[in-house]
Amino acid sequence: MKRLLIILIVLSQVFVSCKKMLDVNSTRLVSEENMWISMEDSRGALMGVYGLTKSALNDNNAHWIYGDVRSGQFSVPIRQDLKAVAKHDLNASFGVMNDLKSWRRWYAVINSANIFLERIHEVKEKDERYTNNNMVVDIAQARFLRAFAYFYMVRIWGDVPLIVSSKEGSFTDQPREDQSKVLAFVEQELIKAAQDLPFLYSSNDEQQQGNYYNESSSRWTGSLARKTTAYAILAHVAAWQSNYPDAAAYAKFVIDNAQKGGLGILSTGNMTDPNGFFYDKNNNQLLGFAHVYNHVEGSFTGHIEELTLAAPVVNKSIPDMYIPKEKILEIFNEPTDERFSADTLGNPVTEVYFRNFNGQYPIFSKVKCIMGGVTDPSFRFYSSATIITRLEDMYLLRAEALAVIGEQNGAIDLLNTIRERRGLNNYSAARNGELIEAIFQERNRELMGEGHRWYDLVRQYKIINDNSDLSKLIRDNGQYWPISTEVLTQNKLLTQNEYWK
Amino acid sequence: MGHAYSHNIELNNLSLQDTTETDSIPPIDTLPAMKPLYELDLPKFNNLRSLKTTSLNTANSLQQYIKGELPGVYVSESSGEPGTNIQMFVRGISKPILSNRDIYNSQPLVVLDGVPLIGEHPFAFDIQNYDVERIGTENNLLANFDIDNIESIRVLKDLSTLATYGPLASNGVIEITSRKAPTDGDKRITVNSYIGMSQKPTVTTINGAYENAFRRQFYDLYTTNGKFNIDDVYPIYLSDSLNNDYYGPSNWSDSYYQNGLNHGVNANIAGGQPRATFQFSLGNVKTSGVADDTKFDKYNARFFLNLRPFKWLNFETLFNASRINRDRNRNLRNRFAMMGYLPDLGAPLAPNKDVYDTYLKEFDKSFDDNFNNILEGFFRFQFNAGPVKFRTKFAVDYNEGYRDLFYPSTILENSNFASNYYGYNQRIMVDNQLVYDIKNGANYFYFEAGNSLMWDTYKYNYSYAYKGVNDFIKLNLLESDPNNGNYLNPIPFPRQLVYKFLDRTKHNMVNFYGKASYTYNESYTAALTLRYDASSNAQPTSRWFFSPVLALGWNAKNDFLKDNDAVSLFNIRANVGRIGHYNLYDNYSQGPSYTAQVGYTGNAIVPGYNGIAVLVRPYDVGWIGYKLPWSYSDNANLGFDLGFEERNIQVSFDAYVRDTKDQLIMLPGKKDFGYEYQYEAGMDVRNMGIDLSASGNVVQNDKITWNTGLVLGVNTNKLLALPNGLDEVEVNDRLLKVGERIDAFWLYENNGMYKTDQEVPEVNGQKLTYNGIILKAGDPIWRDSNADNQITKEDKVIQGNILPKLSGSWNNMVTYKNFDLNLNFYFNLGRKIVNQEMANRFNFIENENASSINSIKEITYWEKRGDYDKYPLYNPWSSVTPFQTNQNLFLEDGSFLKLRTATIGYNFKDIIGNKLGKNGDFYVYLSANNLFTVSKYSGRDPELVNYLGYDQGYSLPIPRTFALGFKLKL
Repeated sequence: MKRLLIILIVLSQVFVSCKKMLDVNSTRLVSEENMWISMEDSRGALMGVYGLTKSALNDNNAHWIYGDVRSGQFSVPIRQDLKAVAKHDLNASFGVMNDLKSWRRWYAVINSANIFLERIHEVKEKDERYTNNNMVVDIAQARFLRAFAYFYMVRIWGDVPLIVSSKEGSFTDQPREDQSKVLAFVEQELIKAAQDLPFLYSSNDEQQQGNYYNESSSRWTGSLARKTTAYAILAHVAAWQSNYPDAAAYAKFVIDNAQKGGLGILSTGNMTDPNGFFYDKNNNQLLGFAHVYNHVEGSFTGHIEELTLAAPVVNKSIPDMYIPKEKILEIFNEPTDERFSADTLGNPVTEVYFRNFNGQYPIFSKVKCIMGGVTDPSFRFYSSATIITRLEDMYLLRAEALAVIGEQNGAIDLLNTIRERRGLNNYSAARNGELIEAIFQERNRELMGEGHRWYDLVRQYKIINDNSDLSKLIRDNGQYWPISTEVLTQNKLLTQNEYWK
Repeated sequence: MGHAYSHNIELNNLSLQDTTETDSIPPIDTLPAMKPLYELDLPKFNNLRSLKTTSLNTANSLQQYIKGELPGVYVSESSGEPGTNIQMFVRGISKPILSNRDIYNSQPLVVLDGVPLIGEHPFAFDIQNYDVERIGTENNLLANFDIDNIESIRVLKDLSTLATYGPLASNGVIEITSRKAPTDGDKRITVNSYIGMSQKPTVTTINGAYENAFRRQFYDLYTTNGKFNIDDVYPIYLSDSLNNDYYGPSNWSDSYYQNGLNHGVNANIAGGQPRATFQFSLGNVKTSGVADDTKFDKYNARFFLNLRPFKWLNFETLFNASRINRDRNRNLRNRFAMMGYLPDLGAPLAPNKDVYDTYLKEFDKSFDDNFNNILEGFFRFQFNAGPVKFRTKFAVDYNEGYRDLFYPSTILENSNFASNYYGYNQRIMVDNQLVYDIKNGANYFYFEAGNSLMWDTYKYNYSYAYKGVNDFIKLNLLESDPNNGNYLNPIPFPRQLVYKFLDRTKHNMVNFYGKASYTYNESYTAALTLRYDASSNAQPTSRWFFSPVLALGWNAKNDFLKDNDAVSLFNIRANVGRIGHYNLYDNYSQGPSYTAQVGYTGNAIVPGYNGIAVLVRPYDVGWIGYKLPWSYSDNANLGFDLGFEERNIQVSFDAYVRDTKDQLIMLPGKKDFGYEYQYEAGMDVRNMGIDLSASGNVVQNDKITWNTGLVLGVNTNKLLALPNGLDEVEVNDRLLKVGERIDAFWLYENNGMYKTDQEVPEVNGQKLTYNGIILKAGDPIWRDSNADNQITKEDKVIQGNILPKLSGSWNNMVTYKNFDLNLNFYFNLGRKIVNQEMANRFNFIENENASSINSIKEITYWEKRGDYDKYPLYNPWSSVTPFQTNQNLFLEDGSFLKLRTATIGYNFKDIIGNKLGKNGDFYVYLSANNLFTVSKYSGRDPELVNYLGYDQGYSLPIPRTFALGFKLKL
């Protein structure tokens, strides 16, 4: 009996140690049971939503291909995929086009935000350090990012499935939702988020007290969504729906509260400095996703520079895209423009926007953050931030809105504020043509290479609504992108955009 | 366990006069006695190809030695670069190979003298932007032995033999057994050596004028003024016909290809008495590639000791240590893929030798120290107490790899690059076995119980950096002095351009098994094995897996042919059973998890946002849910061995069916929830096939013997089921369809070219489209296989297969007096190749200056390969991408036959008599490898194909080699 007992004890020891041996805690990931416990988890999860947004924007330089290449403003010497995009030949499947047709990365943003919103209460319950205020601000940011992702997708694909819960494991298919409903959701979410977001972080804002996640304000400058950010996106959402009164009101909030949000209008020098506005992170990046060089976040790809820069700015013989000389002169058609102007002989007065103007390929070099903001052409490693909106965008968007709703004077004032800052004379109808055209032209000059042009054109031609190809394209819903087949096959409830069938 | 049937390359004394030391004196290693009686009849099949003959090949790795030699083992030598990894597949593949990672999952277990070897782990691919090759040394770790020390290499394929290894053996086992030391009190010394060369290949080079003329055809056809549209750019390097670099003589091949020197030497001393034996050997093999100054160099030292201090105790120990160094290729593609940086590809390397030499001179300033240290060893005790024997073994396999690399700024646009890699893989194993057997008249019982514990660790440290201060500091990226305040910070490289990675993964296994066998009258055997296995990479809810194996055998020779002198051997054997497959990755065990990974294309590694680590679902890797079961194979094997005294005819035949079930497969993920992939269990794949080997003497008389032998492996696979009842699924441009092969191509079918727009078919006023684009003159006629008047991927057709339906070898040995002549032919039949290299050439409009890893032009771009006349001149500017790879225009028959080895040797035994002692022996030989290839394939060597069945044109040629060598025994 005793012997049996010993044998049993020994045997049970063997099995206990077996169990220990077989429970290997992976060092390569965080398991479900070790997540949503502490405020480090909530911080990691929230930063994850930001990180996924950044990678959705930067993947294959999508933000600029959607926004700038598709406008057709740039000429494309070599890349077949960019050529196809520039001439709306979106069914072609060259190069990166299949990736651009997939919304997978945007739904990763949405899924991670949904998970965050569903699980964040667990951290609140388990970690005493995690304050209610911290949670409210976190939730507002997750909401903001989810709404922003939907807005971005609606502009590209039109109707998209509206998925507001994580549905992990089951992943129930949903059909595409009418875009007006999606945008209504976006607006409602952004308003909610705006209420809870602070003007600045770790800066003793009423709505975010103390050091956010124990980091000082310098950590958070320009890198998180703020109250003004939410209003800026709201303004864009309204303008996209041609709801110009609301667009004007939302943009006004941003302009009026610029100082509170740490925002100012950039000098031309700062805007085009390799070490200026686009470099690193700063509060003027109203919504921006930085590649902070000192955080080892620089990269070869995911920057406008990869598409636009070439010799003599960097070692690359031919740029992926460029604006031909004639077109530059057509766009920058006023003297004294600090961004670009040509003298009477046709020689450039400044080189901040374009280098090699008289060469075969004028290089669009407004954004040129090479490594740590240097001019060394030998290594095509960039650190510029992806900018979604900044204060100038709000001025011009409000100007556009006011112009449409008939408040000409207000619109001209706003336009002139920007023009003045760029060394231009005040707007005059005689010289600059119709106000609304002048505003869109100013937007083009000011926001060139920031992923705005295509959406600006869509809004402009919705207003013009003439017999132009672009107006027709918009009427036929050809402004949207086709949905990639890999997306269509994974959810049978989805249908291809009619125009691309 | 019934019958340890296996095909093997065995050392033998057929005609190469190698005495088997175990014949006369019973070995002190009593292990054979622990096996069921029936196993003692293990036939020595295919013994024509003795290891001695195999060793005459100037090869350096296991895979090269066994290629074509073992029925059922397919070896894919996709590059001729010496010392690189070569894939092996035993009896086909049980899961589709969609990426480099999947290859690791499909490799057989290699067991060296009872130590199951651990290989590299594919987890390092997680930090790489391109699936070209793994970071680290990428050396062939199975070059860790010296062929002259080996007694047998055999493959275990059916469950009755695999079962003792458990889930490690789910892809088959290759067992390597070293020679035994003599026990007769004598010392034996053997020295084997050869010297030889790899022969520089002859190639046809081309220059810019050739390429220009090729491209002009398209410009003449499709453009009016030499420009397809206003932005069209003609490459500068082809624009200037006065540019001597590109338009001058194309003689780069003089610097790229060269003859290489090979040599090998191995010395072995062995001795002993019945109670103690020892063996010690040292060896070195150097192999040179014929291209790009590639070299491979390995050193091997081995020590073996066997003691039997008491009758009841036997002690054995082995240490086998190797060092392998490799000078790697200078391919741009490998370099840029590893750096993750694509420089301006506008100007390829020039075909002019002088220009190329200037580049090489700069390249030579780089530094690439690439080596592995490998050590395996064990201690084994065996206690004998009458019919009960207990054996316990402690085994270790450890291999570590280093690669210290530096590229000077002069070869990369003024930016230098350095990286340091250190990684190790370690397996520790404790193995216990208890054996009891009893013979009672005609009845023989055998029982065995075993338990093993295994700890695997895989780890690497990797760092790389760009733009160091100068080209002189080539090493030590980080401060290595822990006392220095700057510890682990970068020294000569900017901190912002230094990337550091540490990664580690572990896998533990616990196994129990028991087997019982009964043999009646040395003729009838039945054996049952039951296993219970657990893996830490299985989910906690299904950690343990139970599997049974039943084997039956009938030795007809012992039964009723005992007195029949004509039949030397007649066995029939059958077995059925199950074996579990373990997971290679630990993330499967966790279910849904969170990772720090928010990268994107071309910038795969982004662990944080705003300098803070993130935690997100693994959207890029894919969703992994709960309730993942063990995957397993159900096998059935039926075979017979037949031998006749007459002409020494031996035939061995095996037919098998293997259904691998509940496998995890990477399916396309739910894109609406952010997942690129999702992993689901439930893929079932069937492999069926026949392994056959036969040999016999064609001519046999006093003077001359001609023995011929055939080794054949026939294999076919079929997808039986997909998870969730799916009928088909598209993953990574491949279609997996139930009922079809898992290694099939999925391609558009070409039927020519539309000469005019009018030729494009029209249905109800709607012209035929390709993905929504109306087809035009100059576009391919792709078959609209579903007749819906649009060409989409639904029109792609499953066709062809990557793995050969039949592979094997035909061997001949002729002996005349003391001469012997060997001819070894290797063949693959029933396989296809997609000639991607030609597709890329014709698709020059899209590839020219594209920032893509597959449009990089190596210096070999200036070599004429393939048949240009095979392809129509489609309009390369068309949006339908007429020269895309996935069409059967580029699909070709990849069957081939090679004269792989020819040797002639002479044995001086009769001349030297007893001068070298009673065991003395001296043999001299001349061997030639890879002499010719017969194939319809229009590209280069049909063996140089990657795991996707694509010939990308980047791999180095398999050289023709010659060697002169001797084998001396004292």
